[in-house]
Amino acid sequence: MSNLSLFLGCVAPNRYPGIEAATKKTFSKLGIELDDLEGASCCPAPGVFRSFDKVTWLTLASRNIALSEEMDDDVLTICNGCYSTLKEADHELKSDADLKKDVNEKLFETGHEFRGQHDVRHVIEYLYQEIGVEGIRELVTAPLNMRVAVHYGCHLVQPLKEADSRLVSGDITFFDELVEATGATSVDYEDKMMCCGAGGGARAAAHDATLRITEKKLENMADAQVDCIINACPFCHLQFDSGQKDINEGSCTSYGIPVLHYTQLLGLAMGLSPEELGIDLNVTSTSEFIEKINDGSLMA
Amino acid sequence: MSSNIERCYQCGQCTSVCPMGEQEQTYRIRRFLQMEKLGLETEESMMVPFIFYCTTCYRCQDNCPQDVNLVDAVLAIREKAVHKGKMLEAHKKVGQMLVNYGHAVPTNADAMEKRVHLGLDKRPPTVQASIEGLSEIKTLLRLTGFDELVAESKPVEHVESAAMMHQTCFTQQQVVEEGA
Repeated sequence: MSNLSLFLGCVAPNRYPGIEAATKKTFSKLGIELDDLEGASCCPAPGVFRSFDKVTWLTLASRNIALSEEMDDDVLTICNGCYSTLKEADHELKSDADLKKDVNEKLFETGHEFRGQHDVRHVIEYLYQEIGVEGIRELVTAPLNMRVAVHYGCHLVQPLKEADSRLVSGDITFFDELVEATGATSVDYEDKMMCCGAGGGARAAAHDATLRITEKKLENMADAQVDCIINACPFCHLQFDSGQKDINEGSCTSYGIPVLHYTQLLGLAMGLSPEELGIDLNVTSTSEFIEKINDGSLMA
Repeated sequence: MSSNIERCYQCGQCTSVCPMGEQEQTYRIRRFLQMEKLGLETEESMMVPFIFYCTTCYRCQDNCPQDVNLVDAVLAIREKAVHKGKMLEAHKKVGQMLVNYGHAVPTNADAMEKRVHLGLDKRPPTVQASIEGLSEIKTLLRLTGFDELVAESKPVEHVESAAMMHQTCFTQQQVVEEGA
């Protein structure tokens, strides 16, 4: 198995650095070293930049992969959008020699080359396939006892249809299984596989309409009486976390569901404190949730 | 971009499950596909800006009985519109972020403070901490012409300067009147 370089993307390091810290800390506990991907850029975002200019999208994506290949690493993403871009660009370039040649002609100007000899992984499918549910369970030192709304996100599932269809055929459960390995209960709720609303540049183009999609999801999650939302993508994370504030201001609602990335949930189950994982740095208050972690009422 | 929209027979299964279509009456993916098939470019105002509302959730595609690659089709329609100068201002700004910082969402003071609080480097080890890396991004975006694509267009500047002139004239006139 190749070593991994951590591809940060934009939203995690620049809005929710707790996700970056949680990834580094949990992987360190797993005994897996993550190399920094120095000089990496935006992936660039799959629905936005791919639809503005596909050549630009492929060129910057191939540079990010090339930086990782130069260290003989596979790429590890912690964001669905980054996964979609890097996985799909990697696939297109590996299967189209002319396209690869075109992109490499540009990359040569910056001293890089896309060789296409490595892989792109998403943290959730990586943990599921390489560590396994049992492997995660064995590393849990502080089992959780909470009701969780799992949000897969569209761009975790879609690239896997091409890359590893056995994970996404029939009932999709791999993410729920990883969540339950921490002791938490993944609660079923209406329209669970629905989009968060933010993707494809819609958040910038039609902000209010995207929030109405988010509100529908929040309503269903709240009906299921969950203690928190668990996602696999900093952009979904942003839409749910800062979205609750926007929705409450606009619709006189009072949503207050804590939003955590899976690596933050795993960190709690590995005995790390909420503060070490940046769970206290959200827009929507998590103070009540943190109190319940500390007084043990959300712990097994 | 691989497109197979000729397979579409307009059943509307796509629009019926579209979360954006549910919120925005103007967002009708079935209609966009048919317009594209018929080459109705004169009706472009019915497509822009709505075509940019797609969240790329793939629900339409999952529900299509004809296996049409709907999301690829939407992205291709968008790309054509963008290259004809129909990019939304909000998206142009995101594009300018990429050109200027190498990130669609660059860092800010709040993020840097949170990073330090978490024991991370103030700036992440991306192009934001690498002048050389950022210069590579700028080179590549120049080679692909992306920097031009998202540059402020001249007609907009003219409109703005005309508006400013109007404002200036108005203010001067007001001063004269008030002075009188």
